[in-house]
Amino acid sequence: MAVFISAVGFGVVTAAILAISAVGFTLQFSVTNVFNLSFGSVMTICGFVAYWLNHGGLNIWLAMAAAAVAGGLISLALNELVFAPFIRHGLNLFGMVIITISVGLIADHSLQALVGPSFFAYTARAGRAFHFADFVLTRQELAIIGIALVLTVLVQVGLQYTRLGRAMRGLAVNASLARACGVPTRRVIALAWFVSGVLAGVGGVALFLDISTFTATTGSEFLIVIIAAAVLGGIGSPRGAVLGAVVVGIVTEVGAAYWNPELKDVLAFGVLIVVLLVRPQGLFAQLATERALAR
Amino acid sequence: MSAATQYYIATICVYVGVNVIGAWGLDLQFGVTGVLNFAFILFQAVGAYTAAMLSLGPASASGGFQQYLFGVHLPFPLPIIGAMLVGAALSAVVGLITLRRLRSDYQAMVMLVVSVVATVVAQSVIGLVNGDAGLSLIPNPVMGLTAFTRQQQTWLFVALCAALMVIVGAFMYALVYSPYGRVLRGTRENEPAIEAMGRSAARARLQVFVIGGALGALSGALLAEFIGAWAPSEWLYPETFVFFTAVIVGGRGSISGVALGAALVGVGIQQAVQYMPIGSNPVVLASMEWVITGLLTMTFLWFRPQGLLPEQRRRFARRREREARALPREQAVSR
Repeated sequence: MAVFISAVGFGVVTAAILAISAVGFTLQFSVTNVFNLSFGSVMTICGFVAYWLNHGGLNIWLAMAAAAVAGGLISLALNELVFAPFIRHGLNLFGMVIITISVGLIADHSLQALVGPSFFAYTARAGRAFHFADFVLTRQELAIIGIALVLTVLVQVGLQYTRLGRAMRGLAVNASLARACGVPTRRVIALAWFVSGVLAGVGGVALFLDISTFTATTGSEFLIVIIAAAVLGGIGSPRGAVLGAVVVGIVTEVGAAYWNPELKDVLAFGVLIVVLLVRPQGLFAQLATERALAR
Repeated sequence: MSAATQYYIATICVYVGVNVIGAWGLDLQFGVTGVLNFAFILFQAVGAYTAAMLSLGPASASGGFQQYLFGVHLPFPLPIIGAMLVGAALSAVVGLITLRRLRSDYQAMVMLVVSVVATVVAQSVIGLVNGDAGLSLIPNPVMGLTAFTRQQQTWLFVALCAALMVIVGAFMYALVYSPYGRVLRGTRENEPAIEAMGRSAARARLQVFVIGGALGALSGALLAEFIGAWAPSEWLYPETFVFFTAVIVGGRGSISGVALGAALVGVGIQQAVQYMPIGSNPVVLASMEWVITGLLTMTFLWFRPQGLLPEQRRRFARRREREARALPREQAVSR
């Protein structure tokens, strides 16, 4: 039982990191309909920004905040300089998938050429361990869970109650109708990319803190798990992404405790396949038809 | 010509052949029919492993230094045929799960997940295909021909690849230019129109998924037999992207174009990087290959999305005139 509970504890931490990232991934997708496969690379770059700041003497949490801003700006720049021009150039949904993969590969491998294939680590301490019954969580892990809670609630409240959130939801349902109603679609899309990049930044640093060593391709490798969580919850639904993250996080860590730890991601995938066979639209999203790219 | 030069040229020839066959498989799916198969490299890998296991013999025979699921020693060409059958069967399974029920944007993502998970399984379940180390000492069918010298054997394998490439190429032309090819293009261009004509777009997608999977497996089988080894690092999921780049650079749906693209991207980039003034650090060189591949894809999608040798627009002169009279705005089904 102790094994099970401590595995759930690890699962909650993984779920927290997944939730931050999956919400960012899915929010941007719901607004723009671009499957951003360079999301993992943005996470990695932000992780390295935090690494350089951290090794320059900055506290890791301040470095995380800086990485979040960097992530937002990188994501915004990618949209303004690459993705949006390609969409205006007339590329379709699948063409955009190829473009985001290209950007991801270019970013990952440029970074790899720069920093080399070695492993990196932050100079942060995990902090005091807290015991809750059989749960053992370090201060660092508790902080990550707290950040995840705050950010996901903020996104949810923002989507529900602010003008910007309403505009984003409007764009998600029908971009041209939203524009016809006076929503400044370009600005809303840019903001969606920015928010998604901020979440990628926080998620990237949290991931690298949690797994303690990372390389230039760690973010892209983790992206597959993020996609599994986002698709599981119903792609395009931030609420669903949180639920998907919790399911994937806990299933993988409990599976790792009882089974081959290297195969934990396979479990997440198994859950994904079963859910998609029963509910092809994911847990939360309505069965929508494919939409056009939002401009 | 020195033996080393000959071997170098032969190697490039084999790689071109293997890449062209594989790229045609993906082109049938992505270029002609519009199925986005992000797990394509998995089917090449399955072909490679199957050919290896069908020619290596039992694992215990070579002292058991590598473990794999099962092994028999079959004569040429049975391992290659077996590889294609297994590739087709696996494609059918993956296709049935992903293609029928899921929205097409979900399909692409699920394929990506399938590809990654397959790599993880192959790496961590050692008894399956010897884990991270991969399989080695895979026999090459030409090695048994002791009447030839080592060099002649290499060129025989080149000839085998060339012959298979010609056969696959002829098959591609026959398929794409047949009425069935029109169904495939129609599935890509206008699914409701194809359905209205009583053809099933879902079935067409599944069929090209299986055929493309078999061609991917064929390319993998040839590659594994030539290199003599096959490991998970050969088929990480970004490798699929190299085939996509080949199809985009060559020209989606264009058989000759894709062959050109496969030669340029699959082999040309790797060779070009060797001669660039960026030093000889292997990590930097390998990274540059990826960066160039990515930049090339983006450049082509911006400036020349139809590729180097674009798919020819099929003309049906008299019928088009008739339709133009009947319908003020015709819907182009066949391109």
